[in-house]
Amino acid sequence: MNGANSVDGANGLTVTGLTVRFAGLTALDGVSFTVAPGTVHALIGPNGAGKSTCFNVLSGVYRAAAGSVRFGGGELTGLAPHRIAALGVARTFQNIALSGRQTVEDNLMLGRHRLTRAGFASAGLRLPRARREDARHRARVREIARFVGVDEHLGAPAGTLPYGAQKRVELARALAMEPSLLLLDEPVAGMDGGERRRMAEVVLAARADLDMTVLLVEHDMGMVMRLADRVTVLDFGRRIADGPPGEVQRDPAVVRAYLGGAAARGTAESDAHDAHDAHDSAEGGKGGEPG
Amino acid sequence: MSDPSPPPDGAPGRAPDRAPGRARTGTPGRAAALAQPLAGLRRPAVLAGAAGFLVLLALPFYLGAFWLQTGLFAMSAAIGAIGLNLLTGATGQLSMGHAFFLAVGAYGYVYLASDSGPHLAGLGLPTPLAFLGAIVLAGAAGGLFSPIAGRLRGTYLGIASLALIFIGQHVLFNAGSLTGGFNGRDVPPLRLPGLAFDDSPGLVLFDVPLGALERLWFLGLALLVPAAWTARGVLRGRPGRALNTIRDREVAAAVMGVPVARYRAGVFVLSSMYAGAAGALLALVFRRTVPEYFGMFLSLDYLAMIVIGGLGTAAGAVAGAVFVSALPQLLTRYGDDLPLVAAPGSGGVSPAEASRILYGAAVVAVVLFLPGGLLGLWSRLRAAATPRRGPRRPVPRLDEEEQPA
Repeated sequence: MNGANSVDGANGLTVTGLTVRFAGLTALDGVSFTVAPGTVHALIGPNGAGKSTCFNVLSGVYRAAAGSVRFGGGELTGLAPHRIAALGVARTFQNIALSGRQTVEDNLMLGRHRLTRAGFASAGLRLPRARREDARHRARVREIARFVGVDEHLGAPAGTLPYGAQKRVELARALAMEPSLLLLDEPVAGMDGGERRRMAEVVLAARADLDMTVLLVEHDMGMVMRLADRVTVLDFGRRIADGPPGEVQRDPAVVRAYLGGAAARGTAESDAHDAHDAHDSAEGGKGGEPG
Repeated sequence: MSDPSPPPDGAPGRAPDRAPGRARTGTPGRAAALAQPLAGLRRPAVLAGAAGFLVLLALPFYLGAFWLQTGLFAMSAAIGAIGLNLLTGATGQLSMGHAFFLAVGAYGYVYLASDSGPHLAGLGLPTPLAFLGAIVLAGAAGGLFSPIAGRLRGTYLGIASLALIFIGQHVLFNAGSLTGGFNGRDVPPLRLPGLAFDDSPGLVLFDVPLGALERLWFLGLALLVPAAWTARGVLRGRPGRALNTIRDREVAAAVMGVPVARYRAGVFVLSSMYAGAAGALLALVFRRTVPEYFGMFLSLDYLAMIVIGGLGTAAGAVAGAVFVSALPQLLTRYGDDLPLVAAPGSGGVSPAEASRILYGAAVVAVVLFLPGGLLGLWSRLRAAATPRRGPRRPVPRLDEEEQPA
């Protein structure tokens, strides 16, 4: 079936001319970028740049007005979210989206949904097939919990955990899908330095072990520089830069987008962008300050 | 939110296993780790369950007709409430149409089991087959509505399903040859080979003659126990996790691979089948089906049951069903001794009205003070009585964190 994508190694992502409009607002305007298989690719930009919108299109939550998203040889635009998940695309959410009343273990087991089969009848009647499946996947979920460092919370309702732990449970749930493409929406927002470092380690280790491609939205530039092989910068729904992190960091358009008017005056670019930049600085200031 | 208290897992001793891919073949400690909490939790619960079941089996030998009937109403309501709790409690899909599916079950059984007469139609099937047929019919009716049930969320489904009540009432009153119209229909007793669930003489056990109610009591148990057991399996298994996540985080459920509309439709059909079984059992207990019983108030009663008992679990549904269905019976029985409750028709507050007022108050009290319902109260009491047992180690610590008072 579709699962073949995860083994043939061709889990690269190609986004071409992606456009999303909400009643009069163009959230994404012809955005294109390519994520090479097995790399960590960062998507950055000030608040409101369209990063989360892009994620929502990639995971099927929003429909694109135009453009294409190809992953592992298939087209993702137009697929329902659960069909995209079936292709091995996992994501985390900027605002934690765990089921707060279920235990952490059950939240992680939901990640196994696409890999398991038990339905109403076989779960209700506790058929041996369903029980074996449950035991096998529970064991794997515990390993993943250990790996991400949330194993001590397995029995607790997810909603009772501290914020940082919930962020890690989200990552663990995404990893529990055994994804070939992992979309991380601000995985370290609101975390302290130690937590951030640990999160970065986990992401890198998981990428290496599971042969995943990672697409990352993050405001923390340190995190982006440490993790990303390549960076795409969005501003007001448009791609303004794309390249290796070091290069992108020095790109005048990026500096302007993040630092706004002051930097723009410094680099003395065209007047036509001034109004636009002033707006940026207000937004970018907030965006550049994670947590 | 932005300043989380540092979790204790930064401790140096707990270096995480860095290789999820490697350990796929299995670790020796896993079986033990798996078995430990199960063994700790299972034993007393299983013992208590078995003891309770034995008591329930013995009750018909001691109870009079009134209590047996009350118990049977409660059992039927429990089956229906479990179905509604799968839909509303576990999935967050409000349904006002539960009474409609009870009616489909009740009238479906009567239609399938009755012989065709001059005024009333019937198929004259063997009664056990008719009972199963009634459940299937209710499921099919749920299936017909499931395209709507799959697409509408929460309260919107509640409003749409309200239509079912009115359609149901119209059909029940007007499709005379099918339903008997205003007067309803007689319910043929269930006949298993060698055992009829009626007042036929000759069945004496331990010197106690077993009449229709005693026999139906055992039938009710034989239906309720597997119904609850199955629902528990569904809720604790893969479908239950999907349903709970649809309730809590719909978008996350979809993104994790859950086909949301299909699960909503599926749980609606399952809930309809539970209602069908409850309706058919109720018909057997009443021995006559009457249309006005299956109105909106019945749907509201069922919603009250799951809220009072505890949302999202089979046990909560059973607790709420016992509470809500026993209350009017008790008020009828002991109404003379209570102030303000008058005999039906005498102008005062009738027992049925009084019980509605009472469990209306109970719903408010539960929503305000007992978020987990009766079941939540029970587990809170139990947690208070048995402080800190092994397998639940992480929970108490987090509880303290949650409630600084």
